Amino acid sequence: MPEQRAAQDLGFCELSFERKPELVSIVRRFVSDFYDRTLCDPDATSRVALATHELLENAVKYSRDGRAKVRIEVSGRGGRVRVRIRTKNRGRPEDAAHIQRTIDEMMSMDANVYYLSLMRKNASRTDGSGLGLARIHAEAEMDMSVACGKNGTITVSAETEVAMPQRKEGAA
Amino acid sequence: MSEIALPVQQAAELRAQLTREDSGLVAKLSGTADLRVTDSVEAILTRVHQKALELGIPEVQMDLRELEFMNSSCFKSFVSWISDVSDLTAGQYRIRFLSNPSILWQRRSLHALSCFAAELVTIEAGN
Repeated sequence: MPEQRAAQDLGFCELSFERKPELVSIVRRFVSDFYDRTLCDPDATSRVALATHELLENAVKYSRDGRAKVRIEVSGRGGRVRVRIRTKNRGRPEDAAHIQRTIDEMMSMDANVYYLSLMRKNASRTDGSGLGLARIHAEAEMDMSVACGKNGTITVSAETEVAMPQRKEGAA
Repeated sequence: MSEIALPVQQAAELRAQLTREDSGLVAKLSGTADLRVTDSVEAILTRVHQKALELGIPEVQMDLRELEFMNSSCFKSFVSWISDVSDLTAGQYRIRFLSNPSILWQRRSLHALSCFAAELVTIEAGN
């Protein structure tokens, strides 16, 4: 029987704010430092920072009351580190349904094939890019899910796993 | 080298420059391309496209070496621009992206653009 180990908390942060697009880039810079410290992997840091930015921009843009929250959890288990990003906003049920349809479509084929097909389909679109979720899946290599609460709270989650950072000998 | 006016105000978050050089057109974006500047990025790329057609140049160099981040809305403006070039039956030009290897999102995003139009797009890692 493989040994069951409890997940080890490596860090989390939660931020909530009102509709101010300039804050999204500030949050991306902040969480990039946070990921850099907890993951010690520049490529993984870049991927999850990109995903955080895209999720947060969507949460702010489509929030009915202009408010959004983001919660980031980093935990380790058995040599792997799991990063989970969750955004919450007050949205419309049809927004959650649209996100769910996109995720279902995305999961039915290769991430890059889907991304390229969406780029072709949306090239002449004028209302938003329609590429954010596919970009998270293909470029940030994260899996996503969506849930709609009773009070209209829409939670979008993105998750990925990376190798546990190796501490250098003598490091504090 | 001569500078070509762009239809946008220079802002702290995004700075842009378009110049005519012997090799063709050179566009440079620096800063952050996010929700605040989506319309500006679209306007810049529209001007680049118009100028490239007007001058009949064979290549546009897009210098992103100082572009810290690009969101999906601005990324989609690049997709639309490349799609417009790809649809041309006459006057088609190539697009060469100058990237910064230390800005890691660029590798994945520009690779996606090169897959979108492999015959038109090349990526060069700059210093």
